Amino acid sequence: MSIFWISIGMGIAVAAILALSSVAFTLEYAVSRVVNLAHGEVLTIGAYAAYVGEMTFHLNLYVCALVATIFGAVTGMALNFFLIERFRGQKALSTLIATLGASLILQNILLIAFGGASVSYSFNQGNLLHVGPFLWTTLTIRVIISAVVVAVLIYVFLQRTKIGKALRAVAQNRELAQVSGIPARSVVMRTWATAGAVSGFAGFLYGETIGTITPSIGNGFLLLSITAAVGGGLGRPYPTLGGALLLGLVMSIAGTYWSSSYQLVVAFGFLVLMLLIKPNGLFVRGKAQTVRA
Amino acid sequence: MLQYWTAILSEAAIFAILAMGIDMIWGWAGDFDLSAYAYFALGVYMTIVLTIGKAHSPVTYVFGWHLYYPLAVALSVVVVVAFAAVIGAIALRSLREVYFSITTLGAVWAIYYWVENFTPLFNGYNGVYGLFDPLGSGLSYNTYHYLFFAACLIILLGVYLLVSRISTSPFGRMVRAVRDDESAASVYGRNVFWAKYRTYLFGAGLAGFSGSLFAAYIGAFNPLDWKPTEIFVLYAAILVGGRGNPKGVILGSFIVYVGFVELTRYIPSPASRPELGPALRQILIGLLIILMLKFRPTGLIPERLGGDGTEGRRSWRTLFTKSPQRDAEPDVVIGALPASGVEAS
Amino acid sequence: MTALLEIEGITKTFGGVTAVSQCSMSIREGTVVGLIGPNGAGKSSVIDLVSGFERPNEGSIRFDGREIVGKRPDQISRMGLIRTFQTPREWRDLSVIDNVRVGRSDLERDSLWRAVTTGRKLRRLEDRETDELRDLMTHYRLDTVRNQRAVGLSGGQKRLLEFARIAAARPRLTILDEPMGGVNPVLGERIGEAIRELKRNGSTVVVVEHNLPFIERTCDEVVVMDLGTVIAQGPFAELRDNKRVVDAYLGNDDE
Repeated sequence: MSIFWISIGMGIAVAAILALSSVAFTLEYAVSRVVNLAHGEVLTIGAYAAYVGEMTFHLNLYVCALVATIFGAVTGMALNFFLIERFRGQKALSTLIATLGASLILQNILLIAFGGASVSYSFNQGNLLHVGPFLWTTLTIRVIISAVVVAVLIYVFLQRTKIGKALRAVAQNRELAQVSGIPARSVVMRTWATAGAVSGFAGFLYGETIGTITPSIGNGFLLLSITAAVGGGLGRPYPTLGGALLLGLVMSIAGTYWSSSYQLVVAFGFLVLMLLIKPNGLFVRGKAQTVRA
Repeated sequence: MLQYWTAILSEAAIFAILAMGIDMIWGWAGDFDLSAYAYFALGVYMTIVLTIGKAHSPVTYVFGWHLYYPLAVALSVVVVVAFAAVIGAIALRSLREVYFSITTLGAVWAIYYWVENFTPLFNGYNGVYGLFDPLGSGLSYNTYHYLFFAACLIILLGVYLLVSRISTSPFGRMVRAVRDDESAASVYGRNVFWAKYRTYLFGAGLAGFSGSLFAAYIGAFNPLDWKPTEIFVLYAAILVGGRGNPKGVILGSFIVYVGFVELTRYIPSPASRPELGPALRQILIGLLIILMLKFRPTGLIPERLGGDGTEGRRSWRTLFTKSPQRDAEPDVVIGALPASGVEAS
Repeated sequence: MTALLEIEGITKTFGGVTAVSQCSMSIREGTVVGLIGPNGAGKSSVIDLVSGFERPNEGSIRFDGREIVGKRPDQISRMGLIRTFQTPREWRDLSVIDNVRVGRSDLERDSLWRAVTTGRKLRRLEDRETDELRDLMTHYRLDTVRNQRAVGLSGGQKRLLEFARIAAARPRLTILDEPMGGVNPVLGERIGEAIRELKRNGSTVVVVEHNLPFIERTCDEVVVMDLGTVIAQGPFAELRDNKRVVDAYLGNDDE
């Protein structure tokens, strides 16, 4: 049982949560061409919603997860309705700055509502288990399984459902989709709801396994999600998934041999490396183009 | 009361200089740079560690020199520009618009967490402190602050004259041409990267310089009280005053900074909830950014339009008229010219 | 007369599609040359290759006797070559007259150091030029809009602004990519005149255009491209009966 394998095991759990968050981020970009700097706050809202559910209303684990998902979906829809749609037709950069404003607003509302001190859930972590070379708790395993299930659901949603096909059409070209009879506005809204739901759930998983929640955990999550999405291929769900898994592993290995406080530094190094070597994304085939919006 | 106002206005003057630096990069060159905070903070840290002398355990930081303050300022600015040269070379080479912003956002948080955790650099999250009266004037506390305020105003005026001279120069015009259309600018012989890079370094240098001034004012700096989000107020200030217009940026900095500090005074901030005031402030900043972008993206005093001298003054009149939607993509009107030529317009 | 621009055997492929193949042509100094050919013949790709926006896979391009393959667009431009794009590319938030001023200015004047040290002298220099630029504006029918933001111009005015900007920059070679695109007939006449003026002022001109009567009126010589290579070069009248040219335009079923 080496430290290496333990940390890889932990890395898989981190990567699973990160994967959900980054896929949500990339879906938002795909349909609205928006780099949503308020993405981290959607996760935070999900995490806090579950916290309130557990602490105040003594709901069980599964109901809490549902509450987090619903709150995430509502936040995603609200962001799209009140912000993104209002800035449609403007430069991508204007919308990015607007989402920065939204991030400030949401994060500080959370700060006022819950204070700056960190909180955590009190769910049972379960027993330690040896699975192959990994050392996991039953809770970690549940988190990994549920992340995989959600990823499969996203896949089915994108590939098999009508709305998923409409989503891909809108992502390609919104105007063209519109004139082909696809109700683009409602497809975009539903995508934001889906992305928000996935983010809220990811926020819950984060609180359940990895740690304590504060109103500012969104900052780190945003940076990691951006890194995974850009590293894999911004706006493309499956490459983003690959980027997230790779980033999760890189970070956990770096965390083992270096210090975990430098994980974001490592992530940034990874991001810069990706942007310099393959700006279109690691898992996207084709000629690299200069990245211009 | 007088002390209160000198303090607030000194800070506003320092932040106006920082805002002018950010605006060169964002307003003139069109690169929305989120690492500006890092240049400001590095300016503050460097100035402090270069003037307060050796570190005493358990405090640890680099240098620990005892330099003459103006020399420390100069050296700090050099370090900041050198640092910006690295970030700029990475971020500006081939990345534009949102990709540029993402990179600088990553950079600022990575640097922030590094400084917070790596104590040998600037003493980690406890920060560095102990700078007061760097010129050794020996004046009383109040007199010192009045003089400091006067000095800030004079420096602000000097920086304004310099920046507005560059802004209206062929260089300022060329940088804006590069912002509006890079390919067209390169067709007319302009090296796009070099134009953006020079502007970036100059703006970062100004940010570092304002940090040096701030060091003399506040005397201490740490990552907990000064998060990167703290200077988002300046993005709001630039949007309010007028992107790309140095006069507007100064106006915006004073309005927004003084306005917010004043406002926070009237918000009850009980000892049990110390975060309430600052949090409300940040919410208002976020709202201001969104509303300005949506309804008046050119700000109170829009960017100066270089005419031929016959167009008359327009900057104040436009304060009260509807602003053009600068960032909206225009409809392409081809062949919309009337048959008689352009006289119709 | 000597060749100002000499293209020899350039080839460019984009992901397996050959846009330009073994293309050679030479443009003599002081002429107005029409570059014509059916859609997809590779005309625009040739412009991108010559102006440095793309790099050929093989071949050589010499401007004024110097090899320019591998140079950046701004470096090539400083040697005296200016191109346009299919849609007018104005600097939208600059005033119309400032658009022309950027055309007129040069690297030395753009220096950041000079802006800091000799700002007032620069200002006086530019003020002296303003009268001249105002005349230029009037000449291109832009006098009423000269102090407005360029983004507000109509499509036709943007075309004229492009010519005013080129006139101010005084290039040795001007390459125009479909200058008549979306332009009404009256303005078309003005644009033909503008091209002849460029020639009178000493610029060699290459025009890519689909409007053949316009090419016949304006150009001294025509280069015909098809399938990425030059199939004919000569005066317009001679090419009218050239079988390959006619086939290229009408579609060739023999092959």
